[in-house]
Amino acid sequence: MAVRETPGFRTALAAAVAGGLLLAGPTAPGLTTAAAASSGTTLRVAMDGSGVDTLNPFTAYFNGALDIFGTIYPSLTTIDDNGAPKPYLATSWTLSDDQLTWTFKLREGLKWSDGKPLTAEDAAWTLHLIMTDDVAGTANSTLVSDFESVTATDATTLVIKTKKPKANVTYSSIPISGIPIVPKHIWQSQVKNLRNYKNDTFPVVGYGPWILTEYKNGQYAKFDANKSFVLGAPKYDHLIEQIYKETDAAVAALKSGQLDYISGINATEYSSLQHVDGVRTAQAVGHGWVGLELNPGAKTRTGKPIGTGNPALADPVLRRAIALSVDKKTLVTKVLNGQGQVAEGYLPPAWPQWNWQPDPGKKQSYDPAAANKLLDKAGYKKGSDGIRIDPKTDKPLNLRLGIHSDDAADAAISRYLVGWFKAIGINAKIQAMSMSALNSDLGKGNWDMLMDAWTTGPDPTYQLGIQSCTTLPKDDGTGGNTDSFFCDPAYEKLFAKQATLFDPAERAEVVGQMQEILYDADVDIMFYNGTTKIAYSAKADGLVTGKPNADGFYPAQTAFWSYLKATPGSSSDSSSGGGNTGLWLGIGAAVIVLGAGVAVVRRRAGADDRE
Amino acid sequence: MSSRPALAEPQSAEATEAAKAPAQDRTERRTSRLPRPGYLLTKLAAAVVSFAVTLVIGFVLFNLMPADPVRTMTRGRPVSEAELIRLRVQLGLDKPIWERFLDFVNDTLHGNLGYSWEYQQSVASLTMHRLGPTLLLMGTSFVISVLLGLWLGLRSGWRAGSLFDRITSATALTLWSVPTFWLGMILLIVFSVGVGPFHGFLPTAGMSDPTLPQTGMTHWLDVAEHLVLPALTMVLVVYAQYVTIMRSSIIEELGSPYLLTARAKGLTDAAVRRRHALPNALLPSVTMIFMHLGTLISGAVTVEAIFSWPGLGDLTFEALKIPDLPLLQGTFIVFSASVILMNLLADLAYRFLDPRVRDQ
Repeated sequence: MAVRETPGFRTALAAAVAGGLLLAGPTAPGLTTAAAASSGTTLRVAMDGSGVDTLNPFTAYFNGALDIFGTIYPSLTTIDDNGAPKPYLATSWTLSDDQLTWTFKLREGLKWSDGKPLTAEDAAWTLHLIMTDDVAGTANSTLVSDFESVTATDATTLVIKTKKPKANVTYSSIPISGIPIVPKHIWQSQVKNLRNYKNDTFPVVGYGPWILTEYKNGQYAKFDANKSFVLGAPKYDHLIEQIYKETDAAVAALKSGQLDYISGINATEYSSLQHVDGVRTAQAVGHGWVGLELNPGAKTRTGKPIGTGNPALADPVLRRAIALSVDKKTLVTKVLNGQGQVAEGYLPPAWPQWNWQPDPGKKQSYDPAAANKLLDKAGYKKGSDGIRIDPKTDKPLNLRLGIHSDDAADAAISRYLVGWFKAIGINAKIQAMSMSALNSDLGKGNWDMLMDAWTTGPDPTYQLGIQSCTTLPKDDGTGGNTDSFFCDPAYEKLFAKQATLFDPAERAEVVGQMQEILYDADVDIMFYNGTTKIAYSAKADGLVTGKPNADGFYPAQTAFWSYLKATPGSSSDSSSGGGNTGLWLGIGAAVIVLGAGVAVVRRRAGADDRE
Repeated sequence: MSSRPALAEPQSAEATEAAKAPAQDRTERRTSRLPRPGYLLTKLAAAVVSFAVTLVIGFVLFNLMPADPVRTMTRGRPVSEAELIRLRVQLGLDKPIWERFLDFVNDTLHGNLGYSWEYQQSVASLTMHRLGPTLLLMGTSFVISVLLGLWLGLRSGWRAGSLFDRITSATALTLWSVPTFWLGMILLIVFSVGVGPFHGFLPTAGMSDPTLPQTGMTHWLDVAEHLVLPALTMVLVVYAQYVTIMRSSIIEELGSPYLLTARAKGLTDAAVRRRHALPNALLPSVTMIFMHLGTLISGAVTVEAIFSWPGLGDLTFEALKIPDLPLLQGTFIVFSASVILMNLLADLAYRFLDPRVRDQ
C-alpha cells in the first residue's frame, strides 16, 4: 500500500524551516552589522525609564520626553554645576528697580534647523501661549505663574513683567525641567489643534545641540548633531536614545558594547559593572531623597480632619521618637551599598546653594534609648506584647507602613524599619501598593506612614510648595497637592518671603530656615540622598561632567550637558553590534537547513521503502 | 497580557468528549459539515453575551482600582492645584462613574476605543501601531511551539517510557517550570553579552537597530535577528504544553483496536502513527491551539519587558502604571474580542474535525 507524504506534512516542514530561518536571522556574515547606514560616530544611550508620553512639549510630563525637548529646543538660560542660571539663548538679564520687570538680552543671528531666524519673538510667543491657552499650559503653566506679560521689544530683547516680585524667573526656561522655546512659525498654525498635535514630522524643527530625525514609539529616538550649536558643537555625529524596559537588559547592552551610557542604575547593577573591561562607572551627587512621611493628622484647608490616619501620629513626641529610631547610616550602608549620603535637609546635595544641615546639637541621630525615654515620659506604656499604648485612645500603636510595590529599595528599607519600630514599641504593618494607589491614599489622608521619594530640579520653589498649607485639599476632599498634610504658619510666611528674595545668599538663608522647620516637625523624615549611578563605555570620553568632590561624587549630571560634551575615543565605533554576529547566525541557519534537508531525505527514503 | 495557562487546563466539553474516543468511522457520516443556522446563531449569541459581560467586568475592575491617575501622571512635575483640577476635568475624572460607564458603552458601540491619557492619542492608533510587533513575536513563537511541541509529543507518546520520551518530557517540563523572566535574562546574558570565551552576538533590545536603514531586506534581516531571543524564550516556556497534551492523547490511542486493524493491513509503524493515531489524538491540541491563538494578540508582558519589544503587552503594562483607563479599557476590549472570536472559531472548527460534534 502506497503511503504518500501529505501536503500538510510538506507545509509543516516548510514552515519549520522558514521559522528556523527566521529565528536564525541572516545567513550572510556580518550583513546587518557591517551595513551601518549612518556615517560618522554615534552615541548610544539608554532613554530615561519613564519613556516618552508625547513629543508635544506643551503637554508632555514624562522625563524621557523632557530629556528630548532639552536637547532639541532652546531655553532662555541653562544651569551651571551649582545649579545657578547661566546664559543660553539669553546672554544677560537685568531686573528693574521695582523688581517686577525682567529684560533678557538674546543672542543675534541664531537660526532654527529649517533656516528661519530664531528671535525673541519665538520666546515671547511660546511663553505667552502657555500663560493664556489652557492646553498649552497643561504641563508648564506653573512655571509662568504670576507672569503679567511677556513681550519681544525687538529681535533680541525679551521683556517679562511679573505681578509680584518673583525670584525664580531665570529658572522658568532651562533645559529639561523648564520651558522649551518652540519655533512660532511652525507651531502657530497648530494652536487650535494643540491637544492632538503629535509633533512627529521629522526632522523636527528646533534649535539645540541635537536635531530629532526619527522617533519610534516604544523603541528609540534618533538625532543628528547640530554642528553649529552656540554653546559648542556636539563631538558625536549622531545620538540614539534607546528604550530599555529593564535596566538589567541595559546593563547587558553596555557590557556587550551595544550601548555607551546608562544613568540611574541601582546599587547592585553599579557594583556589577565596576570591574568590567571597557566600562567606566561614576556617581553623581543625588538630586533626590528617600524618606518616610508621618501623617500628622490630615486636615482640609479649613482644618476639618479627613482620612483614616492614626491620630497618635499627631503627637510630635511620637514622631520624634520614630525619627530617632531610624538608623540612617545602616540604610546607606546596607540598602545603597554605601553609594549615597545620610540626608538631613529637605533639599538634595545636587544643588549646593540650597544645602542646609542641622546644628550638631540638634541633629536627630539614631538613638533608640532616647526614643524609648521620650515615649515613656509621654505616657506611652508598653503592653504585655511589648507594643506601646496610645494614652489618648488606649489603643496599641499599630501603624500602617505604605511602600511602593515596584521599588526594591522600599522593600529593603521597610524590613529594617519594622525591626527598629518594634524596638521602641511600635507595631508597623507593611502595605505594598502601586504608585498610583499610594498617591490616591495619600491625597485622601488614608495612611499612617508612607515611604516617599522626590527628585528636585535646581529651583526649589515647587518642592518647598508642596509643604505649604495652600496645597491642602478642600473640604469636599477634592483639589490639593500636599505631600504630607504639613501646614505651619511660620513656614508659610518664609515660603512667601523666599519667592521675593533676589540675592541668592539671602534666599538660601530663608530656604534653610524652612528646611529647619520641616526637620523639627518630623513629618517628612529624610533617610538618604542616593547618588545617581552612571555607567558608560570606555570608548566615550567626557560623558561625566564636572569634578568629583571629596567623597568622589561628581556634580549633578544632565542629559543636555553629558551628551553635548561626550567625545568619541580613538577606537570608538559604537554603532557596531558585535563582531561575529553574521558568522554565528550563518552557522545556526546552516545547521537548521542541513537538519531539515536530512529529515526530508530520510522521509523520502522511508516512503520509498514502504511503496 | 498572556500568562501561561496551567498544564492541566480543563478542555471544553466538546474537546474532552472528543478526546475520549476515536472518531474513526467516517463512512457513517451523514450530517453536513456546515453548521446548522440555529447552531451558528446560538454560538454567535453566546459570543456577543460573553463580550458584553467582559466589557462590564473590564470597566468595573479598572475603575475600582484604587488609583490617582492625575497625580501619578504629573508626579515630579511642578503642577499647581488649578492644573490638576483642569486635568481631571479634561480626562473626565470629575464625572460620576455611571456617566463614565455610559460614555464608555456608547463609545465602544460606535467603535471608538477612546483617547489615551498618557500618550495623548487615540487608543485605536496606538493599538494598531503595536499590533505588528506583537503578532510577529507571538506568531513566530506560536508556530514554532506548536510544531515542535506536537512533533515531540507525538514521538514521545508513541514510545512512552523510552529514553527519547524521558529526555523530551523532562526537558519540556523543566523549561515550563522555569520563570520566564529568569530564562529570558539568562538567554540575554549568554547570547548577547557572552559567557567565558563565548562572545555574545545577539541584540539586547528593541526590534531593529536604529543605525541601520528601516526599510528593505537589511531591515527585515535585522528584525529577524532581534526576534531570535524573545521568540526563543517564548518557545521554550510554551512548547511544553503541546508536548504534554499530544503525548497523553497519543498514549490514550495506543491500545485502540483501530490501530491494530491498521497494522494488520500491513502499514508501517510510522504510517499508522501519522495517518491513524495522529488525527484522533490531535483534537485536544486543536482546542489548545485556538485558546493560544486567542491570547496571541495580547502579547507577553514579561518577554516584551526583558527584550524591550514594543508589543501590546508592554503597552498595557505601561497603561496599568498610571492607570491610563481608556488605554486599558481599549486594549482589554481588543484582547477579549480576540479570545471570544477564537473560541467561536474553535467551536465551528470542531464541526469540521469531529463528526460527533456535528451530530449533537
